[in-house]
Amino acid sequence: MGLRQDILREPVSELVLRELIALKPGDTVRRAVAKMREKKLGCVVVVDADGRPLGKFTERLLIKLLLAGPQRLEEPVASHMAAVWGTIKLTDPIAKAIRVMQDKSLRFLIVLESDGRAVGLTGQRGLMEYIADHFPRAVKGQTMDSKLYMDQREGA
Amino acid sequence: MPKRPRRDPEPGEFEDPLSNYDPPEYGDDLERSLLTDNIGVFRTTPIATIPPSATIHTAMKMMDELGVACLMVVAGEHLMGVFSERDVLNRVADDYDKLRDRPVSEVMTVDPSCVHDTASPAKALNLMAVGGFRHVPILSADEKLVGVLGPRRVISYIQKHFDKETA
Repeated sequence: MGLRQDILREPVSELVLRELIALKPGDTVRRAVAKMREKKLGCVVVVDADGRPLGKFTERLLIKLLLAGPQRLEEPVASHMAAVWGTIKLTDPIAKAIRVMQDKSLRFLIVLESDGRAVGLTGQRGLMEYIADHFPRAVKGQTMDSKLYMDQREGA
Repeated sequence: MPKRPRRDPEPGEFEDPLSNYDPPEYGDDLERSLLTDNIGVFRTTPIATIPPSATIHTAMKMMDELGVACLMVVAGEHLMGVFSERDVLNRVADDYDKLRDRPVSEVMTVDPSCVHDTASPAKALNLMAVGGFRHVPILSADEKLVGVLGPRRVISYIQKHFDKETA
């Protein structure tokens, strides 16, 4: 089976899901920044009392906010979040996730259970890992240095 | 072509070294392309660059205006480092007022992992998926910066494969 078929056939649940960092609308941006740094993730999701997403705050928005004035780090994250986000169901095919990310220029997607509950995040990184897993020998067998030539002749 | 039956050679008998060679098989065109093509199948330009002496504020303004997640820090045509959104999050955010007029070279990621323009896509995917680098600079044989590959460009290449076949 080829990669293309697998992308069309396999569900989003095959992708590596990242933990969703959920914050309350009243939490400060500084807290969002600390959480993103701690979890090594470029995005937090602001949720209401029932856990439904209201918006997201990303590294890109952080740059805009700092340029506008770093004192804004103390303001509530809800006043700086973007109210657009992409969602995808666990059972949707991976091809759909690719299309949503591409069409909406998104880096992250919120992954939903069939009852609409958010279970995690996936995105560009998850997809790169999926492709790498598809070619374990070709991709993972690569060396990570950037040398064009060997230092010594082989066997010398 | 039907495969010839294999048998162990008699001692001293010549054995064709390729007799056990099965050429690799690919599931489809996308797979073949990712494994055998050159990294040039992806779009690897334009490159957003900045000199190492530029201030952190200038760099962030440029990222915001261009809508890019990452700048290549270059002196002439040579790559000195990479300055990304993640560097802003990890190294700049808490002390922005103190750091904004410092040169970007103080907070950039130095000595980033790169690939050469002769590499296969698999090599770049390895750095992204296993190494965890979002953006991989691409160098020519004489170590000049000639491109950059990020996940968005990989994904649009894959998407193009689907569009081509459904069109």
